[in-house]
Amino acid sequence: MLTKLAGGRLFDPANGRHGEVADLWLRDDRIAADPGPGAAPDATYDLTGKVVMAGAIDIHSHIAGGKVNLARLLMGEEHEHHRFAGSACGCGGGSGLATPSTHTTGARYIEMGFTAAFEPAMLGSNARHAHMEMGDIPYIDTGGYLVLGSDDFLLDLIATNAGQAAINDYVAWMLTATQSLAVKVVNPGGINAFKFNARSLDLDEPGPYYGVTPRSVLTVLARAVYELGLPHPLHVHGCNLGVPGNVATTLDTIQAASGLPMHMTHIQFHSYDTEGDRKFSSGAAALAEAVNRTPTLSVDIGQVMFGQTVTASADTMAQRRTAPLAHPRKWLAMDIECDAGCGVVPFRYRDNSYVNALQWAIGLELFLLLDDPWRVFLTTDHPNGAPFTFYPELIRLLMDRDYRLAKLAEIHPDAPAHTTLGSITREYTLAEIAVMTRAAPSRILGLADRGHLAPGASADVTVYTDRPDRRAMFERPDLVFKSGRLVVRDGTLVAMAQGCTHVVRPGFDDLIERRIARHFDERLGLSLKHFRIRDEEIRHGAGPLLHPCRRREVP
Amino acid sequence: MTFHPEILCPFCGLGCGDIGIDRDDSGIAPRPSGCPQADRLFRRPMAVATDARMAGTPVAMDRAIAEAARLLGAARAPLIAGLATDVEGVLAALTLAARIGATVDHERSDALFRNLAVLRRFGWSVTTLAELRNRCDLVLVVGPDPAAAFPRLWERWVAPAPAFVPGGGRSVVFLGGKPLPETVQCLAGQIETQGMETDPQPDLATLVTRLRTALAGRTASSDARMAELAARLRAARYAVVVWAAGLFNGPQPDLIVEALARLVRTVDGTTRCAGLPLSGADNLIGANQACTWRTGFPLRTGFDAGAPLHDPDRFDWRARLRDADVTLWISAFRPEVPEFGTSGSVIMLAPPETAIAPEPALFIPVGTPGIDHAGDVFRADSVVALHAGALIDRGLPSVADVIGRMLAALEQSADTREKAGC
Repeated sequence: MLTKLAGGRLFDPANGRHGEVADLWLRDDRIAADPGPGAAPDATYDLTGKVVMAGAIDIHSHIAGGKVNLARLLMGEEHEHHRFAGSACGCGGGSGLATPSTHTTGARYIEMGFTAAFEPAMLGSNARHAHMEMGDIPYIDTGGYLVLGSDDFLLDLIATNAGQAAINDYVAWMLTATQSLAVKVVNPGGINAFKFNARSLDLDEPGPYYGVTPRSVLTVLARAVYELGLPHPLHVHGCNLGVPGNVATTLDTIQAASGLPMHMTHIQFHSYDTEGDRKFSSGAAALAEAVNRTPTLSVDIGQVMFGQTVTASADTMAQRRTAPLAHPRKWLAMDIECDAGCGVVPFRYRDNSYVNALQWAIGLELFLLLDDPWRVFLTTDHPNGAPFTFYPELIRLLMDRDYRLAKLAEIHPDAPAHTTLGSITREYTLAEIAVMTRAAPSRILGLADRGHLAPGASADVTVYTDRPDRRAMFERPDLVFKSGRLVVRDGTLVAMAQGCTHVVRPGFDDLIERRIARHFDERLGLSLKHFRIRDEEIRHGAGPLLHPCRRREVP
Repeated sequence: MTFHPEILCPFCGLGCGDIGIDRDDSGIAPRPSGCPQADRLFRRPMAVATDARMAGTPVAMDRAIAEAARLLGAARAPLIAGLATDVEGVLAALTLAARIGATVDHERSDALFRNLAVLRRFGWSVTTLAELRNRCDLVLVVGPDPAAAFPRLWERWVAPAPAFVPGGGRSVVFLGGKPLPETVQCLAGQIETQGMETDPQPDLATLVTRLRTALAGRTASSDARMAELAARLRAARYAVVVWAAGLFNGPQPDLIVEALARLVRTVDGTTRCAGLPLSGADNLIGANQACTWRTGFPLRTGFDAGAPLHDPDRFDWRARLRDADVTLWISAFRPEVPEFGTSGSVIMLAPPETAIAPEPALFIPVGTPGIDHAGDVFRADSVVALHAGALIDRGLPSVADVIGRMLAALEQSADTREKAGC
């Protein structure tokens, strides 16, 4: 099948195209070179004046696994009120907004022109469940980031000075066994400390039992990820999430990486200072400055948007702390398998709350003060800051200063004084949005054939009408192709498609397996044989899509 | 004869992965595992009838599938129940349910809903089996001994010495229930019982209330033993409150669960304490997980003009049977089905050894996940999913295969439907 997308304006920053008019060819599931005169496409779309981008990629969105399913159960009222019938092509039914069901998740993403989303907190013990859910999300590519850093096995390796090589082997073994794409650390050591009844743990505080500090967990993991040559740097959810004054910890965390690449996630929740009467103010300027001058660092924001949502996190320590603010007043927490945990706390962010208004402003400040769109990613930490369906509104706030100022005037009157947001004039361009949502995510995850429009890339293409109202533009693309198949036309699903699951598989020395096996037998009551996820379990037998790792040495 | 060690057991929900199986030409037999369920259910003969039956008469599989599709396609109030199958089978059942507007429920979901009612209105703080095994210094068992439903619970998860308890000591207290003789034997001197002093069948709700009162420091002086238990909970580093809600007798068992969830929260405010609600044999938890991710709702969900609709009372399969005109009963794990009465027709997917009277309108033999084919099942603590492998090939299809063929037959018969460009 040969398809010609004729005469659109291509925004393809990975290949240096910033709005130039050109034809784009799709052959079967791939972007193809122009076949030259005489080619007879099976389908031609006249895209004169339209904006053409690769499918968008969300690098941090809680879409699958145990905590998401628990959140669905806890948010029963939301699901009662938002029920969706399946579309004529046999998909898209389900329910939920903040915690959409699998088909609803796929449908809402593809309708907005997103063709991939990655689950950033997959526990090893829950990985099989997460993969089953990801396999049930239609349309989009998926993958999981393995949570390490509070697992008893790793802390034991660090405490007993097993050495970096053993840690690297363990990390590689776990990535392979759980079919993961990247490594995430959540409140390093903190989830484990909570199990020993510590209610907080600062960066340089030795945790209970092992006496290991969060800083050492961070550094050994960042180093393991670097030396194993994983495409994606260590994905870091730092200490003290949500605590006023935590920007100081966040700045220290940047230092802790000591030059190794690191991705700091949902930094909005880690950018709080203690100025003012309420001892709560924005630390965005200081953090943005530090990120701007540290080229090895990338971040995503975790933007807060107003309304009802639910927070779902492996960080039981932080969730336990915010649970008294739950709205509605119910929440749940779990300790999980000597591995990690999960906490689910519903939240309603209100624009007339000083704290919530400031959180909203801090996120936008960060977006606008960080100067390199290749190192900043569009996220709401779905559903923690807001459901991912708020992205078009968020894009409008970034691209339209007048709109932003109008919204700033509506929030709690004391909040604007504690941020610099009102004075920032920057407006994101279409090219920058294409970088932040396509080219940069594919680059930072190592997905060589996604996020751009060069021949050979997966034919994931989104076509928009260029509207002054950027929200309307990004909410409803004209056309979305997934792997060359037209699946959305004028905002409506017209065909079913399935994405794939991306994984990495760095090699490891088999010797580590003996120690891991003993841990599994003695502690977890589960043999390695039953823990390991086989290729044929991924996507109903289709198996995963492998991305290469290139071993490196720390200079 | 070949021996297969380390076989995963999919039956009760504890996920024991150490079952030894002998296989020869006559079939498979387990080495004694200490679990009556595994020892019985892993014993399967090689030679079984693989024919489908229509009103008791053997028919070819194609014919049975066509008839099932005809019945289900014409049903006004279809029910898909039993739902005892692996995750793949459950997902297929949900696809079929959405297609024909059926409601779904699992045979054993009663126990689950006692817990879910509390999770959905209050939330909870809970833990998993490996945390129980390694961190817990005080186990509080509330109500009847869960080992009645989860035979190797104590042997595998409480008898081993905890890794993270200084000195390795751990106490097990039964509140309002009596340990089974095997439990006493397994846990030797660790067990104490409370609340059974005056009444062999004490009122659990009252006992739990007395303990919560004691935790709040408002105990009458006559309740010294409860005050002492409260003090021990407060002093424990990591207490785990274990219950099997399915075994609770008496009215409104969910209120006992809610009291336990609140009790856990009280203790967890100052030291660590977590609940461990156990429910679910025959992949009940997996069925609920899959239903939740696919529809957004737990089991007891139906499809109203294509959109999911949840009603834990109305869509309880026992209630729903009364007005179901066609029931698809799925029971892939064991050759028994509960007695149920319905005036509608019954299509049954079950192992070939299943004895059933009266004979259903259609009987389609299926394999057992973890025996005849590989399949995913969830453990009773709801976190760990396990992939149970295949042991023998008796020519039996999986539930997912059979339902997939029914769906294909339904699509074929609905070729007048607008395809909407799909």
